Amino acid sequence: MSVLQELVAGIGIPNFKVLIPEIIILLTALVVFTIELLTKARFLITVITALGLFLAAIPALTMEQGDITFYGLYSVDTFSLTFKFFLILSTFFVVIVLRPYLESKRTYYGEYYYLILFALLGMMIMVSAPNLVTFYIGIELASITIYILAGMFKKDYLSKEGAFKYLILGGTGTAIISYGIALIYGRTGSFDFVTVADSITQSNLDVGGVAGIVLLIIGLALKASSVPFHFWTPDAYQGAPTPITAFMAVAAKIATFAVILRIMVEAFPFAYEIWNLGWALLAAASMIFGNFVALKQDNVKRMLAYSSIAHSGYILAALAAPTDVAFTALIFYSLVYIFMGLGGFIFLSALERQYSWSNHIDDFRGLAKRSPMLALFMLIFMFSMLGIPPTVGFFGKLGIFLALIGSDIWWLAVVLVVMSIVSAGYYLRVVIYMYMHEPISSARFNLSLGESFTLAFMATAILILGIYPTVFLDISQLLGNFLIQGVGR
Amino acid sequence: MTVEFVNATFPIITVSIVIPLIAAGLLFLLDEKHAKPVSIITSIIVFVLSSYMLFAYDYSTYKIQFYEKYTWIPYLGVSYEVGVDALSLTMVWLTALCFVAAFVWSTNIQKRIKEYFISFLVLEAACIGVFVSWDLVWFYIFWEAMLIPMFLIIGVWGYAERIYAATKFFIYTFFGSLFLLIGVVGMYIYQYMEKGILSTSYFDLINLGLPFRLEVIFFLLLALGFAIKVPMWPFHTWLPAAHVQAPTAGSVILAAVLLKMGTYGFVRFSLPWFPEASKYFMPVMFTLGVIAIIYTAMMALAQTHIKRLIAYSSVSHMGFVTIGTFALNMNGLNGAIITMISHGFTSAALFLAAGYIYERVHSYEIKDLGGLARFMPVFATLFMISAMASAGLPGLSGFVGEFLVLLGTFDVSKLTAVLAGISLIVGAGYTLWLYHKAMFKESELSSSKIERWEKLRDMNTPEFLSFIPLVVLMFVIGLYPAWWVRLLEKTSAAILSKFIGG
Repeated sequence: MSVLQELVAGIGIPNFKVLIPEIIILLTALVVFTIELLTKARFLITVITALGLFLAAIPALTMEQGDITFYGLYSVDTFSLTFKFFLILSTFFVVIVLRPYLESKRTYYGEYYYLILFALLGMMIMVSAPNLVTFYIGIELASITIYILAGMFKKDYLSKEGAFKYLILGGTGTAIISYGIALIYGRTGSFDFVTVADSITQSNLDVGGVAGIVLLIIGLALKASSVPFHFWTPDAYQGAPTPITAFMAVAAKIATFAVILRIMVEAFPFAYEIWNLGWALLAAASMIFGNFVALKQDNVKRMLAYSSIAHSGYILAALAAPTDVAFTALIFYSLVYIFMGLGGFIFLSALERQYSWSNHIDDFRGLAKRSPMLALFMLIFMFSMLGIPPTVGFFGKLGIFLALIGSDIWWLAVVLVVMSIVSAGYYLRVVIYMYMHEPISSARFNLSLGESFTLAFMATAILILGIYPTVFLDISQLLGNFLIQGVGR
Repeated sequence: MTVEFVNATFPIITVSIVIPLIAAGLLFLLDEKHAKPVSIITSIIVFVLSSYMLFAYDYSTYKIQFYEKYTWIPYLGVSYEVGVDALSLTMVWLTALCFVAAFVWSTNIQKRIKEYFISFLVLEAACIGVFVSWDLVWFYIFWEAMLIPMFLIIGVWGYAERIYAATKFFIYTFFGSLFLLIGVVGMYIYQYMEKGILSTSYFDLINLGLPFRLEVIFFLLLALGFAIKVPMWPFHTWLPAAHVQAPTAGSVILAAVLLKMGTYGFVRFSLPWFPEASKYFMPVMFTLGVIAIIYTAMMALAQTHIKRLIAYSSVSHMGFVTIGTFALNMNGLNGAIITMISHGFTSAALFLAAGYIYERVHSYEIKDLGGLARFMPVFATLFMISAMASAGLPGLSGFVGEFLVLLGTFDVSKLTAVLAGISLIVGAGYTLWLYHKAMFKESELSSSKIERWEKLRDMNTPEFLSFIPLVVLMFVIGLYPAWWVRLLEKTSAAILSKFIGG
């Protein structure tokens, strides 16, 4: 028996079959990296990236049985697979609109593609983590690549400033997270969610446990751009190339919400009173601050950045209630936010390529006359973010509502309602400028096929889900129940 | 309360909701010149369907007819559930008719034709949906979905201050709707906690048996949503702004259909769901209703802008509907519902008249008018009938409803009935004053005005066609109210079953 065989017999071979999506993404990233070194065939790079994402999405969707692999360090289950599929999907849309945008801005670099893939890999690791260490590796991989992506407008001061802010604050966030993890390890002697869950309960909380949880919440809130840890968000979102902003605001956010939910429910199920209160306060602050500041913005990209802070508030509000309804609501809202968020930011990315478009609200004047179809899409995105039926945003808010009122947390429900009304101020403003002002220029818009397809897809999805949310609600409920059943495994 | 259902053999209600939506989608693809015929034909089809329902409806018993129910979101207990009783049916029919009138009138529209008709078609689908939904989630979807097209209609095709008016309209209604949503969600959760039923169906929520304290809370939450829509004093300030700025057809729909949603909400939800709270709040509602009637009638007297005057008169009429509803007896409720229908016709006709005048004279200011009657006799006659119907002249529709409301209110509160009755005189006052100033006063006309007036044409065909059915119906209701009362009788009795027994 050779040494290798002995090792294998001793500790077993990890089950690589369940890692196929990650492996495909990693290989695609390496292939893109190599091709980018050798050729300058931009179209080829896009196609290979998109193809890799497509190939990775199939196993993520069809894989039936999950497994905990890598010696208990990596859990492939329904929850993570679903989120992986949606992360891949949103990355796919970012990738297909990226090239025309970069070429029009004359900042094309092949690096974008493999960095995006590595960030995606990090997020996939994040949502698969059954363990604080795996989670940490995932969040670091995702964050570091996104720091670079945010600063890829190398000649643009705003982009560099945003990326630098993001780097400093994001680095602080990961430091805080690692400190929290250390405290929790010191308290429980384990990184494993299941073991941590058993050791930290409501009755035996002490300084170490509480401090660990609180630090972890702060670090995660920073990643989810929740007020008061949001300072990097507006600058980084505004400065980054717009498709990358879409990637940050949607994929990275969704992964963060998934991982927050997972850690809270699986690692601290018996200390829920702390994190209920913590997230409720953070959510209320995000809703209030995000909406009020968004009202004052004239740059629509920055406005959407603040609106995404407000949406973090809506989504995180679900964590104020430790019930299956709340978890379902959080998952549902995260999933449908993909469509609104991508729609809004990719709309901007498509128009930024046009002549004399600066994302200023004045540029939206008379858009409905210049291009009725585009205006209609933006109208749908705006009303969906506002939460007016028959768009899916309504069901997102309704779910959160049900969760909050069902757990008797009326104050947060009222904050949500009032802030929704405030948000009408800036979402309507975009619609007003598009439909009720005269255009200042009559230049026509030229959209690439990928951009038109993405916008049409998002708008249609929002309307269809707004009429028939059943499937998504069922998925969310399934995942919510899955998490709860996992408690005290 | 148990309710019987008559299932639809043909999904006629769903079809009437879907047809306008299909037409709207079609218009998006078609050329601009098809917009008018397609919309008019669509609205006529919907009107024919609703008329068919009106005559096929069996009013001898209280059953929900043309009923359809399909499971929709099992996780939340939501179904797609539509059907009509006499109240819904008359509202649907009113909606369909007013949309025909609005579309026929709109053949004069020149600006952004395609988008205009698409907005109206979507609005029609949402308005019908509100009145036929028995599932609260669907009700809310239609209730809110209506905001989007109306916001665009006021904001895009309105007059100078249109953006302010559209935003005010949107924010006010959205504000009220969210409280309505909190109320409904609260009841839904209560139902789940107490009874373990997951359902948003009207017929489940009606049997909650809420404790009095919760009944009051939910009543107030829902009432806020409805009161803004009605609008009741003091939530009425969005209405004059919206009416003045909206295009003519928009004003017609706003007054004839949208305002009815609020009063419909009171009748449909507040009374059967919260009987104790309704009794408890009766004095409050009476007070607000009387203030609305008198205060806004006074306000109407002081107006110089035709549309603003009609808008205030609408608030005043809605005050009658409120007190009729909360008189909690048969006469009051029948009167309230008939006033709703009648106000649909009269306000639609009056706003059409205002739009008609504006098309000719390009002003809504009363001082710019005068002596028009001689130059356009057909219009003058129709306008006269509408104004008289609105003022409550016996023999026309306004009188029937208001008389029944006063009759019902008198049994409960004599003071309210007397005060509301007095304001009828003020109502007659401002209507006559408006008509007198705008149409007569020939002797005071300057020669330049006469010169201009002589060039004016009387009504053209689309204008006449959109006007005439409304005027005919004012007579129909006014001269033969018994049919309407019979139609509504069983429904009113069912709605009031928790107050008067049976």
